[in-house]
Amino acid sequence: MIPETVLIVDDERDVRETFVGWLREANLGCELLAAASVPEALTHANQRTIDLAILDWNLGAGLTGLDLLEDLQAFNPDIVAIMITGYAHQATPLMAMRLGVRDYLDKNQGLTRDLFLGVVQRQLERIRPARLQRRVHEGLAAFHQAVEQVLPLVQTAAALNDPIPVSAAARAVIRYAIASTGASQGILVLRSYVETSEPPEQVSAYDAEGRELAMPLAFSASLAAATLGMGRPCVLDDFQGVGLQPFESQRSNLLAVPLELAAGHVAVLELFDRPGGFDAATQQQAANLGALAAEVLRQALAERENSRLLLDALLQARRIGQEVQEALRPLQSSTTPEVRARLEATLAHRPDATIDPAPTLRLAEAIRRLAALYGTPAVDHCTRLVEGLHELLREVTQ
Amino acid sequence: MSQGVFAELHALLRPERLLADPLADGRGVRLCIVDTGVHRELLLQHHPRASLADAAVFREDRPEPLPDPGTPSSPHGTTVADIILRLAPAVSLYSANVFGPLGTCEARTIIRAIRHAMDAWNCRIINLSLGIPEPRLQLAAKRLELLRIVEEAYYRDVLIVAAASNDHPLTRSYPAAFAPPLLSVDKGPFADPLSFDYRLQEQVEFRAHAQGRLGPFATQPATSWAAPHLAGIAARLLSLRPELKPFEIKALLYWLSRSPFIE
Repeated sequence: MIPETVLIVDDERDVRETFVGWLREANLGCELLAAASVPEALTHANQRTIDLAILDWNLGAGLTGLDLLEDLQAFNPDIVAIMITGYAHQATPLMAMRLGVRDYLDKNQGLTRDLFLGVVQRQLERIRPARLQRRVHEGLAAFHQAVEQVLPLVQTAAALNDPIPVSAAARAVIRYAIASTGASQGILVLRSYVETSEPPEQVSAYDAEGRELAMPLAFSASLAAATLGMGRPCVLDDFQGVGLQPFESQRSNLLAVPLELAAGHVAVLELFDRPGGFDAATQQQAANLGALAAEVLRQALAERENSRLLLDALLQARRIGQEVQEALRPLQSSTTPEVRARLEATLAHRPDATIDPAPTLRLAEAIRRLAALYGTPAVDHCTRLVEGLHELLREVTQ
Repeated sequence: MSQGVFAELHALLRPERLLADPLADGRGVRLCIVDTGVHRELLLQHHPRASLADAAVFREDRPEPLPDPGTPSSPHGTTVADIILRLAPAVSLYSANVFGPLGTCEARTIIRAIRHAMDAWNCRIINLSLGIPEPRLQLAAKRLELLRIVEEAYYRDVLIVAAASNDHPLTRSYPAAFAPPLLSVDKGPFADPLSFDYRLQEQVEFRAHAQGRLGPFATQPATSWAAPHLAGIAARLLSLRPELKPFEIKALLYWLSRSPFIE
């Protein structure tokens, strides 16, 4: 974690060096910068992200620490400041708080080393979680952007890097098998089961033209699955009572050859309608042919599988990134539209509703955000302000 | 002992006396099918009174079994179950799907299923219409682990019936090749489902009827269908004498196979 950067701005050299000395001795684990003037402070801010600014109220040339803080905010909107002043009453509390002033130190009234360090340490402790959260969000955003940039490149590469499309490999295997065995027709069923993919099971069937065929029957109940269960070439002459895919119906005989391609990837070569049926010699021939077919398909699938794995990994990374962002969002996001709509409806229907609920909700939302960022003291301060206003209005209107 | 005593014993051990006994229907016998899972509804259509007691899915990467989703990995296990229920309709059937959605199984998964069948389901017979060919079980440690569970079953009076490779004796397949602690079965050219014989060949001792009736390829002779035939016959014997030990069942089968009444 990069240490917090603290900037001390005071035109009085002694004061400035005293503060730097105190902080250095205390070894609070932060990086220290010092500036004697507004331009010098802004130069620092331009080069580094300032997390905490310790600002003298009177910076000369008619400029106040609050003016400088307003400029420093342009570099880091989340900057927090401690104001050093001999006359704290000059600062408008609400304005100062809005700009990020979290504490005041009066250098004319008993400003000791311990008091100074205590105030600085308290602010650093408040900064750290928010800063960490900000860094997580920045990191996630960068990660998300990187994945989004790489994804189309991988997709394009996968499309270009497919030397033997699976359909073409299937067509070649089927045609060769038909020619070798004397079968009239053939199809190839491919099944992949990868638990990390969604859905895990992918089943496809191709005919001798390389066309993909429909497979309405579940793979586990199919002839292809039964063939894999047998672990060797199987012949079927009687199709009575057997669950069939559309391309298996109206057949007179079948020779099915299981092909083990790789872990999670299997195929079954189904050859149909051989005049005179599939004899033992043809079965043996098909078993030998199976080894060759498996090798051809393995090569075709390997390229596709490499690209798929890379794509899956990237898509998963993107999904996880989005999930983490979603999980962190409640910490910083505003009230959801649904909740807001419900609140508006409730406020509008209250018997004492006198104004439009929208401004009321805006105020509530502002206080909620304040509470999320600065905790209970900020809310207490708001309550005191509202009560003061209420008191003032009561006096005025009476 | 005289020749006469054996002849007398032999005369008593007749298939029609033991296997055709009305009480020899598998009653009281818990039998586990370690396979691809079974299709419950389909089995109940064909065997409305069947007791399908429990089912679970076993995986290599998980020590505990998973609930059976009711969809077998392939129709194979259902064919096996149908064969057993035709021979021993009153058995309590347990199904251990060791193939899962991937459709493949490893030695460790089979070991887990056998252990569960013994410890949790208290099965007396375990049918393994599967095998791992020798080239895929080269690691001695893995093979030893599989052998240990087979031996443990033997000493706990649990009969394991294992199918030999369909290419036997060209291909050795485990655990069938671990016989004699288990009953290894090859396919035999028998017409009657109750027919079998003792024919020792490369550690495989028995041959049995090798055709089923339910499911694709059921009628194609296979060791996968031969094993459940002998498992069903063993269940019949156990339902007559529940205290029989694996070696006694094997001896009975040996004697029965020498009977002139068996083909």
